[in-house]
Amino acid sequence: MSVITPPLMAFIAGIVVSSYLLIKAKDTSGEQGTLGVLNASMGFSAVGIMGSGWTWAIHNSMIMGSSSMCATEGLVQCGSVIGDPQWNNLFGIPWGLIGIVSFALIWFFVLSIRMDIHAKWASGYVDLLFYVSLAGVPFVIWLVLVELTMVDGAPHICPYCTVIHIALIGMVACSYSLRQKRDTGTWS
Amino acid sequence: MARRRAKAAPKGKDEDVRTVAMLVTAGIISLVVAISVILAPIPQVGPDEGNQAPDFIADAYNGFGWNEYRLSDNYDWDWNGSSDSKWMLIYFMDTDCPYCWVDGDEMSQLHSQWSDRVNFVTVAAELSIPNHDSTRGEIEAFRDKTSYFGCNSDRDDCIDRPGTPNDWPYIDDRSMTIMNMWGLSGTPVSFILEPDGTVAWNKNKHQGQGGDGEELSEALQRLVGGQ
Repeated sequence: MSVITPPLMAFIAGIVVSSYLLIKAKDTSGEQGTLGVLNASMGFSAVGIMGSGWTWAIHNSMIMGSSSMCATEGLVQCGSVIGDPQWNNLFGIPWGLIGIVSFALIWFFVLSIRMDIHAKWASGYVDLLFYVSLAGVPFVIWLVLVELTMVDGAPHICPYCTVIHIALIGMVACSYSLRQKRDTGTWS
Repeated sequence: MARRRAKAAPKGKDEDVRTVAMLVTAGIISLVVAISVILAPIPQVGPDEGNQAPDFIADAYNGFGWNEYRLSDNYDWDWNGSSDSKWMLIYFMDTDCPYCWVDGDEMSQLHSQWSDRVNFVTVAAELSIPNHDSTRGEIEAFRDKTSYFGCNSDRDDCIDRPGTPNDWPYIDDRSMTIMNMWGLSGTPVSFILEPDGTVAWNKNKHQGQGGDGEELSEALQRLVGGQ
């Protein structure tokens, strides 16, 4: 099975568009710029939620043998990463499910701020968004280490997992940018 | 005198939008979860009969050395219930457990009777009981029936174990990782798996409280012998 599949292309496109929106909005001051960063955040978190859902589905199908949703051979593949019973979960909870819940929390903060950027609580939510996003970074580092050194037949690179990791890094950048806009008075 | 009017800061909306945001988030998550489950239903994994057996990767001793062993590598995923694919017998034991020591005879007999239709695998755990400390050397000696003093709660030499030397893989689970994954706390416990990894027989269910008392040999006869 080819590594590049339509869902993977869609997720990569989501990352590219979100990155473009973030770069464009970063230097735009005022409300326009803030809304731009929030739009980029929604893009990254949407990719995170959908990508996590996809990896969870791969996880479930791998338990029953094989998956037609991702390549299972070669350096770039999911089979040996998501299909590894030792590393594909955290205390028995599949990483995909953890990703869905985490990105849902991020999505909620972003959507709330996006719907009312002048609300009293918006400033606090920007901080929460930053800390929640930042909390995911050690897990990303750990999972990259796992796929490169610990899974059966390592090293492997799981493309869907990588897209989700990039989405999280994108979220950290977005939330940092939002904090900067708030702190430098260029929020609106 | 005219008063200068201060520019008012932008004010938030009157209604709290967070409830709407939460509902939208819940809706999106439900949709994603539903699509994921439709694409690949959540499998029932566990030691109960009818469930998929929890998979594991661990080091196994095959008589020559220790190599990586993955349970699911032995499955026939395309098994349709009638092919000649091999079933699996997973036997959880501890080299210091007196019951496992006694079981040696039965395991050897069962293997000689069923080895052409059933793959045997032993998972050697290390229970948290005094005198149950084990080593890889002890596991090797228990399997091969070679001289190593320390088997059977440190009372016997492993060479005196009942039964014949075993020529099937012994998994090192002294860390109790697999035992915990399978939800087991004691030994010996055995499971029969269908060729595709579905748990067909769980000793605890049949020989525990309220069980029908079916023995491992009877279960093999019923499940594999009846095919």
